[in-house]
Amino acid sequence: MNKSFIISGSGGQGVISIGQILANIFMLSNKFVSFCPCYGAEMRGGAVNCEINTSDSELLCLQNEKVDFVIALNQASFDKFLSKVKENGTIIVNSSLAKINKTRNDIKYIFAPITQEAIKLGNIKMTNSIALGILSKLIGELSIDNIKKAYERILKNKTELIQKNIEAYLFGFNSI
Amino acid sequence: MSEKQLLKGNIAIAKAALNCGCSCYFGYPITPQTEIGEFLSLEMQERNLAYVCAESEIGAINMALGAASTGAKVMTSSSSCAVSLMQEALSYACSDELPIVLVNVMRAGPGQGYIFPSQGDYNQSTIGGGNGDYKIIVLSPSNVQECIELTYKAFYLAQKYRNPVILLADGLLGQMAEPAKLFDNPYPNIDNTSWILNGSNGRKSRSIHSLEPSQLKLNQHIFNLHKKYQAIEQNEVDYEEYLCDDADIIITSFGSLARHSKAVCNHYREKGIKMGLFRPKTLYPFPYKRLNELSKKTKLFIDIEMNLGQMLRDVRLSILSNAQVSFIGKPVGDWLKKEELINAIDNIAKEQYASI
Repeated sequence: MNKSFIISGSGGQGVISIGQILANIFMLSNKFVSFCPCYGAEMRGGAVNCEINTSDSELLCLQNEKVDFVIALNQASFDKFLSKVKENGTIIVNSSLAKINKTRNDIKYIFAPITQEAIKLGNIKMTNSIALGILSKLIGELSIDNIKKAYERILKNKTELIQKNIEAYLFGFNSI
Repeated sequence: MSEKQLLKGNIAIAKAALNCGCSCYFGYPITPQTEIGEFLSLEMQERNLAYVCAESEIGAINMALGAASTGAKVMTSSSSCAVSLMQEALSYACSDELPIVLVNVMRAGPGQGYIFPSQGDYNQSTIGGGNGDYKIIVLSPSNVQECIELTYKAFYLAQKYRNPVILLADGLLGQMAEPAKLFDNPYPNIDNTSWILNGSNGRKSRSIHSLEPSQLKLNQHIFNLHKKYQAIEQNEVDYEEYLCDDADIIITSFGSLARHSKAVCNHYREKGIKMGLFRPKTLYPFPYKRLNELSKKTKLFIDIEMNLGQMLRDVRLSILSNAQVSFIGKPVGDWLKKEELINAIDNIAKEQYASI
């Protein structure tokens, strides 16, 4: 399985965090994986994205022309990364912060009001984990044990936060 | 050996430095390598080691020279435009024969440039901007695991040859994360008791300086350095060869970009075209000899770099007129992608061979 992902949004939405969690999930599944943040003079509210690549053999392409999956958590990242989706690829769009608009017919669109769902779950900061849950459903073949372990690696010993994020993740996973 | 962790290149370098006994770090923050100093500022304090956030890069590297003269394992790290400020001290460190490790996580130049990744400091590292006849060992990692391996090697070679070593990473490698294992330092400690300045109580006093008013002695000193560089060139050349034995076309590439070049080789191999990759891991000493041997049975070399042709000079010096050399490059920013490289190579190949 070779798969590539771009996760994008604004600073503070947890783009880098779920990118790291996704990369950890692949590592724990004994895959080769690379996580490349688009780094810069970024700050809360600025544009943030990261690219994750995974492979069964030596990971060679760290940056790709086009990727299999894009998560766009706001309008600006939807506009910017729509063209980066491969033919027959998928884009997951946070329709709470981006207009529903399908301009390509060679890709799959998933629009979900992720921010509103996170607020309903009681914490807007869970937006990223809901998005990761949706993505995981589409990828398939990820074990829940590894997902829990990956959250533990990133959130260390914040037990309550890990629990809440996994709940949000499962909510996203079961929402589509 | 510990289990695999998802490690950033910068953190991997910092952890490896601590693992092999780096006891002094001097630095000044600059993107994209700031995490090295940030990580060490916490860890070294906890271990009661010397961490100094210097007032400037010039201050940092001169502190490193001072600490190295006492026998401490020292490291400094910086990036491109700030490494420019260190060139004078590097020349001194070579003349003084001080084992320091300098990590350069390359960003875009020339001048201030920006924080985008780049491979634009090949010339600065291998040729240098300091004065006089000197050479610096330059190691080039292509993945996070190699960041660890080559950090160990950098400290070892610095001590072994009493010479500065540059670990030349790039902004992409410094910032990216991938699974890596932090294994134990495999290299032996080098006895430095014959030259370090650790107090002359009970022995004859020593001094370390590059000033030498005797023409005879200065010539002798530089000839001695030159002999050392010849030994380095004899013993320390390191490279990766991938499918080069039967190759009609060989790509030359260094650092993390060489991974994209390897993906390109796999693409052409699947199409039945015999392509290989030659990746120097030591940029000084450069593998001239091996590349020259390969050029006698290979028709075409394609040098690929994230700059406008710096290693190209060494590639041409190796190959001479034995084979054709083409170049694909871009100065800064997103790495040349597999698809872009394939397009460019198809165009080169069309000019060379009607068959592709």
